[in-house]
Amino acid sequence: MDATLEKQISAASRSVEEARRMAYHDAARVGDLVEQISVLADLRQKEGDFRKAESLYREALFRVQDLRKPDPELMAGIFSLMAYLYDRWGRLDHASTFYEKALKLSEEHGFQDADKAATIKNNLAMIFKSLRQTQKAEQYYHEALDAFQNLYGEQHPKVASVYNNLGVLYYASLDVERAQDMHERALGIRQQLSAADIDPGDLSQTYINLGAVYKALGDFQRAEECVDRARKLRAGLNGYQPMPRRSAALLLDRSA
Amino acid sequence: MREILSIHVGQCGNQIADRYWRLILREHGLTESGVPKEGSTAAANNANMEVFFHKIRDGKYVPRAVLIDLEPGVIARIESGEMANLFDESCIVRKIPGAANNWARGYNVEGERVIDQIMNVIDSAVEKTKSLQGFLITHSIGGGSGSGLGSLILERLRAAYPKKKIFCFSVAPSPLISDSAVEPYNAVLTLQRIRDNADACVMLDNEALFRIAKSRLARSPNYMDLNHIVALIMSSVTASLRFPGKLNTDLGEFVTNLVPFPGNHFLTASFAPMRSPGAENQVRTNFPDLARETFAQDNFTAAIDWQNGVYLSACSLFRGDIKAKEVEENMAAIRKQLNFASYVPTGIKIGTADTAPEGFASSGLALVNHTGIAAVFERLVAQFDIMFDNHAYTHWYEGAGVSRDKMAEARDVVADLAKSYRDAS
Repeated sequence: MDATLEKQISAASRSVEEARRMAYHDAARVGDLVEQISVLADLRQKEGDFRKAESLYREALFRVQDLRKPDPELMAGIFSLMAYLYDRWGRLDHASTFYEKALKLSEEHGFQDADKAATIKNNLAMIFKSLRQTQKAEQYYHEALDAFQNLYGEQHPKVASVYNNLGVLYYASLDVERAQDMHERALGIRQQLSAADIDPGDLSQTYINLGAVYKALGDFQRAEECVDRARKLRAGLNGYQPMPRRSAALLLDRSA
Repeated sequence: MREILSIHVGQCGNQIADRYWRLILREHGLTESGVPKEGSTAAANNANMEVFFHKIRDGKYVPRAVLIDLEPGVIARIESGEMANLFDESCIVRKIPGAANNWARGYNVEGERVIDQIMNVIDSAVEKTKSLQGFLITHSIGGGSGSGLGSLILERLRAAYPKKKIFCFSVAPSPLISDSAVEPYNAVLTLQRIRDNADACVMLDNEALFRIAKSRLARSPNYMDLNHIVALIMSSVTASLRFPGKLNTDLGEFVTNLVPFPGNHFLTASFAPMRSPGAENQVRTNFPDLARETFAQDNFTAAIDWQNGVYLSACSLFRGDIKAKEVEENMAAIRKQLNFASYVPTGIKIGTADTAPEGFASSGLALVNHTGIAAVFERLVAQFDIMFDNHAYTHWYEGAGVSRDKMAEARDVVADLAKSYRDAS
């Protein structure tokens, strides 16, 4: 195993132990424990030990639920972390259940952080897409889109991401015209972003997606143009190759 | 280093822990808070301290132990007593609701909510070891927490650590005295898990312990005395790991020698010389007496049917001032007296350790796998059947997610276990 990771894990588990000691005496300190646990669980996932990560999150969840007044925001956070874990683990049905739980809590309690809820909706849509439940996926993407637009306006990378995701979804369900519309909107936003926000990986991905759409429509000239641009962008990335299927997901801070 | 992690589950498991760790501390020359006693060199001279203890910075030794209960009582008593500062608080797991004497609540309802925390605590305790040898679990199989939650822990422990030895010390319901009406249900459901997941299980029953204690003590014994006997047995099982000796025996060796067939790993134990706490050094036994007392049938901790059965295997461990020649001579004689199965031609596995338990000049331990233990299972199955056939109390289990089918399955497993022991005679 990676020596740095090993060191990080042993430090993190010492912190968890210390937090357990504090929480043992004072139930109000459970919040700290949950924080330490999530750090350790994240490292466990890096290590590839999903079982231990799951076990840690479940400890956190039940500790919070056992409190006299469980903090809904904290619970929703744990739910979405667990959903993210199950997503990476490939247990998509669990992932969708936990995202939905998180969402339900956030709707019931009206969280301050609308970004979090919108992110959950986007991620949930991605899972439904993988589960081939296209209608549910589309619905959640649109809800996420509305939420991000309300929060940040049209010109925002997160909005572009959702457009991109929607485009991929439409393309997969053979609705090429709507896919074109979505990818063009995504492109419009991604080209206009300031230098700091612009992500060449995402931009090139949009070109590739758009190229596929043009090809499907029979417009080979524009398709080639797009692929060329994507290739040039990639060449400028110095060997950095974002994983195409997940690049949209990486843009979003899913650990919230 | 071959470390051992002790896991104490439920009221009974933790009461045993209370006596057990007191004894271990004394044997290792430590005070009740885990620091070496003034003038004692036992800890400094022992290279094997790390087996049971984790040394932290200020020279304090912390037991490798996890204390688990679904009600706060017993653990709170340990914490407010002399050993208040001994255990690592991050290794104590307690929940309020309690399992209400119901296996299904300990296994499903309450267990479900706490098992992850328990496994995390165990994982982090295991990570502190260099080369873990195995786990000792103390629990009762008749109650709710020790039986239900204990079963869940066993299953998860086996899944997470498939190659580590799991050694259970299980307090079984007594034939005559009963603590609760649903004991047979809890015991049968737990025995199924012990059979499937543990490497060895020392069956203890309070009635036998009571009988032993009563015959050795001048007064009527209390639970402390009974648990003290359990503690002495547990300490002897692990003695040759913790102290240097000429014939070292580890958990793996015990298991290999004691379990002739898979699943038939239910043992009974005996400790000699049995004296009341504090009066150990009043009697100094010679070795032939010690060996005889160690293998005396009324000195064993479970209600074994000695008449209708044979010995499948036996291990003995002598501690203290013992001469190898004496051991050989006397054990050959004892071997002849014991009625071994025809297909077990060899003798008794013998181990020695130089250090006797505190206060003893020498001591003996026997661990025996005898087919007469089938009587314990048969009795539990018979009690189970009477209640089960009349649908008595089963609604409590169904209400907590254990169907009658599941209960019947456990019953059949235990009945088969009894039969396999009878067939082995």
